[in-house]
Amino acid sequence: MNHMPAILVLAPLSGAFFSGLAAWIKPSFSYYIALAATLLSGVAATCVLGDVMAAGTVQYRMAGWAPPMGIELRIDSLNAMVLVLISAIAFLNLVASVRSVDREIPDRAPSFYVMYQLFVVGLLGVTATGDLFNLYVLIEITSLTSYTMIALGEEGRSHLAALNYIFIGVIGASFYLLGVGYLYITTGSLNMQDVAVILKQIPGSSSAVLTAFVLCILGVWIKMALFPLHVWLPNAYAFAPVGFARVVAPLMTKVMVYVMVRLMITVFGLDYVFNTLHLADIVVWLGVIAILAGAFMALFQTDLRKMLTYIIVCEIGYMVGGAWLGNTLGMAGAILHILNDALMTFALFLALGNIVYVRKQVAFSNLQGLFATMPWTMAGLVLAALSIIGVPPTCGFFSKWYLVLGAFEAGAYHFAAALIISSLVCAVLFFKVFEICFFEPMATSHGHHDYGGVVMTEAPVSMLVPLGLVSTAIVAAGVYAGTIVNTLILPFLQ
Amino acid sequence: MKFLGFVIVCLTGGLLLYGTMDLPDWGDPASPASTHLSDYYIEHILEETRVPNLVTAVLADYRGYDTMFETAVVFCAGLACFLLLRDFRPKKDRYFRHIPTGVMLHVKNPEIRIIPGNEFEHMDREWVPSDRIIKTVCRILIPFIQIYALYVVAHGDFSPGGGFQGGVIFGSSLILMAISYNLKTLMKRVTEKFLSIFAATGVLIYVGLGVLAMIMGGRFLDYGMLAPLVPWDPGHIRALGMLGVEIGVGIAVMAVMVIIYVNIVSEGRHDEGL
Repeated sequence: MNHMPAILVLAPLSGAFFSGLAAWIKPSFSYYIALAATLLSGVAATCVLGDVMAAGTVQYRMAGWAPPMGIELRIDSLNAMVLVLISAIAFLNLVASVRSVDREIPDRAPSFYVMYQLFVVGLLGVTATGDLFNLYVLIEITSLTSYTMIALGEEGRSHLAALNYIFIGVIGASFYLLGVGYLYITTGSLNMQDVAVILKQIPGSSSAVLTAFVLCILGVWIKMALFPLHVWLPNAYAFAPVGFARVVAPLMTKVMVYVMVRLMITVFGLDYVFNTLHLADIVVWLGVIAILAGAFMALFQTDLRKMLTYIIVCEIGYMVGGAWLGNTLGMAGAILHILNDALMTFALFLALGNIVYVRKQVAFSNLQGLFATMPWTMAGLVLAALSIIGVPPTCGFFSKWYLVLGAFEAGAYHFAAALIISSLVCAVLFFKVFEICFFEPMATSHGHHDYGGVVMTEAPVSMLVPLGLVSTAIVAAGVYAGTIVNTLILPFLQ
Repeated sequence: MKFLGFVIVCLTGGLLLYGTMDLPDWGDPASPASTHLSDYYIEHILEETRVPNLVTAVLADYRGYDTMFETAVVFCAGLACFLLLRDFRPKKDRYFRHIPTGVMLHVKNPEIRIIPGNEFEHMDREWVPSDRIIKTVCRILIPFIQIYALYVVAHGDFSPGGGFQGGVIFGSSLILMAISYNLKTLMKRVTEKFLSIFAATGVLIYVGLGVLAMIMGGRFLDYGMLAPLVPWDPGHIRALGMLGVEIGVGIAVMAVMVIIYVNIVSEGRHDEGL
């Protein structure tokens, strides 16, 4: 019997509790257990991806009960890809962040690793499950852990950011739960496949199904920070401890985009979403507004962290707009962008974390001379920035390409225009940063001029290797974009 | 801004009301929720699991995977309280009470050493003398509350109850001890280490039973596969499996209740508290 789908969720779950216990023997054990657990989960996820590509959808019945009665994990090519992405990023970030954690939260690092693994469990579980209520329970775990971890960040500011996030996040989760409640009353089931079958027999004009759909999608939008609902995100992610910001920024919003795609395709069905409801045009406009608003708000930031968080808001607009274009190209672009954006954001935040580790402050006025003192980190940052802008060999270009093609096919020229404008704005943004890092003279207070030359103060190797790996992945995902779309995404959409 | 909020609240309320138009009537026996899965559960649970309490069977067996994560949520809540509130900074001011006279000493100079013993008693700023009547009543009450908690945990299969409820009752008996005596009396009996180990172990019992089923050749949490381990009563193995996870849940919930209480009342300092 193939237990891999269960193991990929259970490894970090039991790892979390063993970390908590082992900390009483020796605090550093909890880190190694976390490392082993996320690695095991990554191996299991890769095995599942292999199985899915070889033999199609993998199902795992929890406790052996058949699906509508019990809970099943259901992994097809879409979530297999996201699962590998989550576990890989979680593992690499643990390698990269151990020193940041030791510096930022020295006295409670073991508890940090316990929370970290529970957060990863939540993300993996949300992605792997085939049950609507189980999805809610795991969203609850991801939310609860991220509220806590964000509050651990910068003294004085992170508490308020976390409190804002709690208020808005709880509303989002309650919306989703209410939506599931309406679905349960109308269908009597919680299994996604089963609900989808029953919904086909219910007339599309049913007001209860419409309410359920609107509530679920609104809840997920709040969680993913789509533009007017984004207010919690910039502060929460900017003031979180580096070790956590690096994993929550690339993954949390992307997993919620996955949930939206899953609800649209598997549960409610594209036929219901696009042919029965007439919301698609409005949502594409919402996406356009999110892209432009995110890009322009990023333009007014004077702190690198804040700037990057607004870029996340902008990228969410790409994925929501693309998914709602109503054609295969747009949906494929949105799904490909889940993968690409996670890689790009992860690389950006890894580089950001390295700079924070060395310089402490990342306001634009603190960035002078970075190309000279931290060349490797800046190389990673430049590559990730080029990918965000959408320069061809990097992966960011290809998902934008699919999105633009989809926009033209759907006749949504405003969406295509927004994509191009935001690319230009991102170019302005990053070149502004590079200009400061490259050309502006270093403040003498850094003291390096006393020695008559520039001294390299690069981040430790453990932080640079993950950045190198992710940079390679960005280029590889670009080079193999066609293969990914043809073998993983298109078979799922057909 | 207030007006905008009002409009959004009205719109949400309107949407919820609009959604109820197509819902089945209240208590309609023909509604999907009472025909689709409920029929299966009502007809098959007793023969499949031999547990007379249908709610427990659905909660701990059919949807046991959910309940495991709910326990993890409870654990998360306790850990969050510890992570955010626990204050490891050494105390600057110390307070002592001279036992024979009841006079309180506030020691600001860290160099002065007072050894707590028969003469002086170490105490905290918020200390209030405890009441003999309250202490006596609670001392008599606490064991009975704890027995009742164990009964609720053990009887979850047959009557309303289970791990979550039993754990809360047991935890509240410990909290009652902290209220009637003081926090230090409690922390002497159940230390922080004890609590955190119990919280993690409780959830691990749940996960471990599931993994054990995997090792015995079944799916995760498939208690039926544990039958070879209890040769004297293999028929009730699913009920016993549920009892096992309920015990795990009870332990975790009990420990987390106390962790939350201790950290909140003393603002993470673990001294006298309330």
